Amino acid sequence: MSKTDDTQTPTTAGTRTGTGTDRTSIRVDDPIMEIRNASVTFDMERGESRVLDDVSLDIERDEILGIVGESGSGKSMFASALLDAVVNPGILSGEVTYRPRGDAEVDVLGLSPEELRELRWEEISMVFQGAQSSFNPTITIRAHFEETIEAHNYNMEQAMAHARELLSDLYMDPDRVLDSYPHELSGGMQQRTLIALSLVLEPNVLVMDEPTAALDLLMQRSILSLLEDLQEKYDLSIVFITHDLPLVAGLADRLAVMYAFEFVEVGPAGDLIGNPTHPYTRSLLKAVPNLDTPLAEMRPIDGMAPDPVDVPQGCSYHPRCPLADETCRAEDPAYHSVSPDHQSACFHWEDSAEAIPLSTGGDERGGGDGEMRAFAGNQSDEPVVSLENVDVHFDQVADGGLLSVFQEPDTVHAVDDISLDVYENDVVTLVGESGCGKTTLGKAVIGAQRPTDGTVAYRGQDIWEAKDSRRGADIPYEHIRRSLQMIHQDPGSSLNPNRKVQASLEAPLKRWEPDMDPDDRQERILSLLEYVGMSPPGDYAQRYPHQLSGGEKQRVALIRALLMNPDVILADEAVSALDVSLRVEVMDLMLELQDLFDTSYVFISHNLSNARYFSGKAGGRIGVMYLGELVEIGPAEQIINDPQHPYTKVLRWSTADLDIEETVEDPPLRGIDIPDPVDPPSGCRFHTRCPEAREACTREQPTLGGHGDGTEHETACFREYDESHEYWDSEPVVEDDADATADDESGSWGHANE
Amino acid sequence: MINKYYIERTAQAVFTVFAVVTMTFGMIRLMPGGPVSYIRSQLVQQQGNQVDMEQVNALVEVYTNVAPDDPLYVQYLEYMTSLLQGDLGVSMFYNDPVTMILASAAPWTVFVMSISLVLTFGLGITLGAVMAYIEGSRFDVSTTLVSIFLNSIPYYVMAIVLVYILGYQFNWFPTGGRVSSEVATGMNLAFLQSAFYHAALPIASLVITGFGIQALAMRGNSIRVLGEDYIRVARLRGLAPHDIALRYVGRNAILPMYTGMMIAIGFMFGGSVILEEIFAYPGIGYYMFRGIMARDYPLMMGAFLIITIAVVVGIYVADLTYGKLDPRAGSGGGNREAY
Repeated sequence: MSKTDDTQTPTTAGTRTGTGTDRTSIRVDDPIMEIRNASVTFDMERGESRVLDDVSLDIERDEILGIVGESGSGKSMFASALLDAVVNPGILSGEVTYRPRGDAEVDVLGLSPEELRELRWEEISMVFQGAQSSFNPTITIRAHFEETIEAHNYNMEQAMAHARELLSDLYMDPDRVLDSYPHELSGGMQQRTLIALSLVLEPNVLVMDEPTAALDLLMQRSILSLLEDLQEKYDLSIVFITHDLPLVAGLADRLAVMYAFEFVEVGPAGDLIGNPTHPYTRSLLKAVPNLDTPLAEMRPIDGMAPDPVDVPQGCSYHPRCPLADETCRAEDPAYHSVSPDHQSACFHWEDSAEAIPLSTGGDERGGGDGEMRAFAGNQSDEPVVSLENVDVHFDQVADGGLLSVFQEPDTVHAVDDISLDVYENDVVTLVGESGCGKTTLGKAVIGAQRPTDGTVAYRGQDIWEAKDSRRGADIPYEHIRRSLQMIHQDPGSSLNPNRKVQASLEAPLKRWEPDMDPDDRQERILSLLEYVGMSPPGDYAQRYPHQLSGGEKQRVALIRALLMNPDVILADEAVSALDVSLRVEVMDLMLELQDLFDTSYVFISHNLSNARYFSGKAGGRIGVMYLGELVEIGPAEQIINDPQHPYTKVLRWSTADLDIEETVEDPPLRGIDIPDPVDPPSGCRFHTRCPEAREACTREQPTLGGHGDGTEHETACFREYDESHEYWDSEPVVEDDADATADDESGSWGHANE
Repeated sequence: MINKYYIERTAQAVFTVFAVVTMTFGMIRLMPGGPVSYIRSQLVQQQGNQVDMEQVNALVEVYTNVAPDDPLYVQYLEYMTSLLQGDLGVSMFYNDPVTMILASAAPWTVFVMSISLVLTFGLGITLGAVMAYIEGSRFDVSTTLVSIFLNSIPYYVMAIVLVYILGYQFNWFPTGGRVSSEVATGMNLAFLQSAFYHAALPIASLVITGFGIQALAMRGNSIRVLGEDYIRVARLRGLAPHDIALRYVGRNAILPMYTGMMIAIGFMFGGSVILEEIFAYPGIGYYMFRGIMARDYPLMMGAFLIITIAVVVGIYVADLTYGKLDPRAGSGGGNREAY
């Protein structure tokens, strides 16, 4: 019946001719898995697509191996290959050997379908990226566990007891989770449940393919620290695949960097971060926004990753590599041993440190001075957009039937009493976990979301008054509308797939400047395309969105917003959907265009590193939001280097450094999950999770201004108030932390799932 | 929250039926050439010009439960009262109470319709699932073509073709009636055989023209579900293929079709008007058609009411039960991360 079976019978090992390189030298002492010359190929109309290219690697017993690569580098294929689960019609060749305890050897690719079925999940298990889509939406979590146990003929009672233990280990209430349907759990809980499901049969190897990519940073870090506990408790060997180098740097024992479907550098995490030798690894370290590298040193990697159908001759990185010479173009480099267990596939590994210098990190945390302020424009004294005590509340009613009037609707406090000014040439970055109301606040700023209370004024004119009255407003609503623009997160879905770039860009011009000469219009669009680096512009203008890369689509969306000559652009997670190495490039471009067009940005991000880069480079501000409130706002570098609010400190903690010495530790936080925004906690909303919370916090709400030293940096926390405040005399909050005293290291997380 | 939904949904259904009844009442009174003038003209034909208006009104009241002399609101109240008592008036053509005629006809319509429905969806879902599993095969391509072709034929055209060829030309099937007049009514084998024999052609014409669209819908849904990550995860977890086919693919692919299935019940009743006329099969649709042809207003209205109620009830049941089948529905829009 099953036609799309994942399994593939192995064909003879394909070796690439003419290279003669030895790539089998990455060995460890006690491997639990050995991968030799593994290749995955797809037959495509354009030719054979080789998405995993003759890869060899050992996985040591009980280690955490981090595999890092950009999207499309073949890292997911490597994960599938470990379980011989490459999707049709991909063909896997080579050798995959699994060594359980003792001398036993299992040839994974030579197993019968039934043996393979048993190997998977019982010995080698896998966690996928999208937890939501990994569960059958129509059956309960319990059924998922039970059917897995049943399919492998395990003792149901014992295995379910193990499942409960795993769920508790991951700080969840087993009964509640088991009785839920997948959609009833939050994203973080789904991902943790999926991890528990993958471990229920007590496998030895756990392969995790971007297991945290869809989650908030805070949740990512929390899961990572849980993972370390699990690894120790159950003696797991973990293969952790990610695009996020800083994320795994502290977790992994060894790191392997993938580029163009092969490993370019493998080594112990410390060596690889401290002394990377492959040019790609070095460039990647510089390209990834983080909190330590000075802003001026971050550089995007030029060029694009190669197409799997047409990988360059010789070293596949040579077209982007500053060190490339004739040898690189002609020959595929073998692994060179930097140290016995650190290998680098580069002819010039000894010279790379000189050619691509990396800062030592840590010491010279970039201040906002010197050339960095190059983008900072003249910020005016008068705000362009001014929010005063803005509330946005949503009524959560399932259906608006006749009888609903009898019921008090649940109100979600998406934005609560926020005042914010955006100046000309300003950059304000809003950060916070998902559901904290940052997008709603951003929309309120550009007049796309009507506040339920408070005023939003554009150059002194109330936006919603202008809209309602139409006549009589000092600044007509149409003018305000054009002046406040937006760029969405997903560039793919914000462009009409059936219209050419040119048509998409012409539409706003036709609407707002109908008198413009068609030739002028064309000229303007083409010159902008050229400016953002899409040349030849005439060619790009005639393309459809699907013919553009993600970065190019986001550029088009950016141009579309800029064509209006707006005063403020709301960029809602504008770089989150892009590849890591592209983010810096697009953010640079946005800032450059800010200078050119005299515009301001309200930039929304869940990622403190991006926020720091974007706001920091333009001398702007960062605002930290929690449950609909602005808890801290101030100049970017001050927020990053000297956070005042306990929540900002938590966010700071959650943003991984490139520092491998620092192991993943428990967060300065008393609970993982955010409280329900329908019923926010009384007093200071953060008090339920705040490590510094005292009794006064549960009653009274701190405000942003009116205390402290009167600088731009404001914090809504009683700890900023002077000594006379009652906070300093009240008792620390311990009421719901009875078990925290018993086991305060981890027990304090027990309330994660309110 | 959930209870509130049920109460509201029930109120909506009751209100819809009530509105339809009120409209029926209005139509009886307002339609040009309505029952009043019809009865008068009948009497004029019988008795010449010496028509007694009171006699006409009395007759109208007997047939339609509405006394033309009373004030409007009294007429309305009387009409509603008699309806609630199950009195739909008296058929002018058959001279029997409408309730009685329809009550004897309804089981036959339900009989034909329910078998058609089960076959249409059973055949469609099975074929669709098989097509999805062997997507791109010759069977898939040819079945798709046949499905589209059959689906493009209106069921009444198919009915006429069937009744002409199999009924009149070959005499393999009866061309009218519910059962053969020779068998005794009751739950005996001969009676059942005869009933199925007579119902075969109407059922066939509905199923042949109806299963295609369901097969294509099921095929599309299944292919979408087969591409989902959870199918891949389920395979890796080592679940048995038939478990995956039923609990994973089947369940998730059929769910979106469920509402359509319930609504189809209502529309099949509507479709019975022409179908039963073609096969001279005395069900509700047949009597409605007779009512229209004979300007028999009480009969027509009664049948119209029954069909409306069937549609309303079908959709009502679909709404109420969907939440039970799909855990994602009925939880108030689900994802709290949406804002």
